[in-house]
Amino acid sequence: MRYIELFLQYSGQYIKTRLAYRSDVVVGFLFDLLQQVVNLTFIFLVFDYTSSMNGWSRDEVIFIYGYFLIPFSIFMAFFNIWQFNDEYIIKGQMDRVLTRPIHSLYQVLLEKMELESLLGCLTGATIMIFSGFALNISFGIKDMLLFLPFVIGGVLVYGGVFVFLASLAFFTDSKLSIMPMMYNVGNYGRYPIQIYNRAIRFVLTWILPFAFVGSYPASYFLNRTEWVGYALFTPIMGLIVFIISIYFWNYGVKKYRGVGS
Amino acid sequence: MIQVRNLHKSYRVHSARKGVAGAFRDLFSRQSYEVNAVQDISFHIPRGEIVGYIGENGAGKSTTIKMLTGILTPSCGEIICNGMNPHMQREAYVKTIGVVFGQRSQLWWDIAVQESFRLLKKVYQVDDRTYQHHMDLILSTLDLSELLDKPVRKLSLGQRMRAELAAALLHNPAILFLDEPTIGLDVLVKMKIREFLKEINQTYQTTILLTTHDISDIEALCERVIMLDGGNIIYDGNLSELRRKYVTKKQISFEFTKPTDIQTLSSQTEHLNLKWKAGENMHQWIGILPISIREKASISEVMTAVSKQNEIVDLQVRELALEEIIRKIYEKGAVHG
Repeated sequence: MRYIELFLQYSGQYIKTRLAYRSDVVVGFLFDLLQQVVNLTFIFLVFDYTSSMNGWSRDEVIFIYGYFLIPFSIFMAFFNIWQFNDEYIIKGQMDRVLTRPIHSLYQVLLEKMELESLLGCLTGATIMIFSGFALNISFGIKDMLLFLPFVIGGVLVYGGVFVFLASLAFFTDSKLSIMPMMYNVGNYGRYPIQIYNRAIRFVLTWILPFAFVGSYPASYFLNRTEWVGYALFTPIMGLIVFIISIYFWNYGVKKYRGVGS
Repeated sequence: MIQVRNLHKSYRVHSARKGVAGAFRDLFSRQSYEVNAVQDISFHIPRGEIVGYIGENGAGKSTTIKMLTGILTPSCGEIICNGMNPHMQREAYVKTIGVVFGQRSQLWWDIAVQESFRLLKKVYQVDDRTYQHHMDLILSTLDLSELLDKPVRKLSLGQRMRAELAAALLHNPAILFLDEPTIGLDVLVKMKIREFLKEINQTYQTTILLTTHDISDIEALCERVIMLDGGNIIYDGNLSELRRKYVTKKQISFEFTKPTDIQTLSSQTEHLNLKWKAGENMHQWIGILPISIREKASISEVMTAVSKQNEIVDLQVRELALEEIIRKIYEKGAVHG
């Protein structure tokens, strides 16, 4: 309850500061949109040469891409911790965070929120709806009910992996640059994972389970029954990854050494 | 209130080898060594006391403060503050303390001071009535009322520091930790902050532990000092006692209307245990008086004896400043006896 109230307070302040830089928000959104257009064009180009990729049609691939954007945008809005090592550990902001009576991770996430990324959900939903119509997909009550846990599961998978990586900063005092690399690996999740070879598939399912962000749950909505089990496992996978990473974070806080004076 | 027993903190530090080849070798085997930032510190601070925590850079001041505020985990030893273990019960504990790090802001850079306070009020779950009552006092004492609408980034250092103090005291903590609270501030702001701290201490019986390099902070605020060197406590006690131990003589500088010489002066003060030293010219003479138990009496005796036969233009009594005492201690090492 208290944490929700805090979230509202922080969001209120965030919106106030962002309103001062309205043009920034607009430019950011347009840039984001442009990037989606580029990515979609890429998919279109690929399908100019082939009508299916390992059994996936163009519209299906685009549908998965659109679905993926929703958890991904939510992740981008609330887990903006790419710079955690630099801003909090090296510049010593973590000290301040640790002198406040809220869980330290929650504080960092609230402070780094980037709510305008949520606009990406609209882009994703639009893509999903259009390709859904093209594919003639029916979206029943059951799908509606599963949509939310799937999205949340996906956000938790992504968030969990990045919290885990951010926690590594507690153990070292040098700069880490695996974040951008992970980000690229994470993008694999926006295409059906069946197009990759077995090794990558295994990694994306059980080690860095990014396939649970886009591929598996979206294939459920595409009525691909082969992976129903995986799809339904999404929320649980999300919880598992997230809980592990919170434990790791808490352990990191214990080992935190701070910076000089 | 603050109870510290056999506190110890050591770090592993990795040392980087020189050059490109060294960096390459570091990839495979890193050299590291142990640094004892704080070793075996024990002290007790009762409620309502203001304690100065001093030492040179790297003496372990900040490390101790960070352990006391729950930021760092002690390597071994025990800390009990407000009946809690800072690191184990961090979230409950930090509600009962206030922290100001002079070189680091607690406030949100982009939003107005007032909005920062409002967020902190939520963070610390302060109810409206307590907040109103308590903050009115703080804001008026710190003279912050007209700064409330400004964003923090537009404040001057002095203004920001006052806002930081208000933010740290918003939830009326039982203990206040100040790490270099007056660093870089001008004399007027410093004085204001000191007065404010005294007032808070008297009104709420707030325990205050402060580190500083500015000895005048200590002189103005603290009755007790804890001195640290190389991670060890080398002195813990009264400020006046420290002074009594180290200040063994006083200098009385005279300026006379007529030139005089050392023989005349010595004969005039023969019955006193006083040594004379020449000043800048024949008009100026300095008497060095060892401090005895009846120190006040002996100064007046000197005055009577000297003023009887000489006309005095100017007079100055000086004793060793605290800063000099502290420097002396560090040069000599630990305080014995």
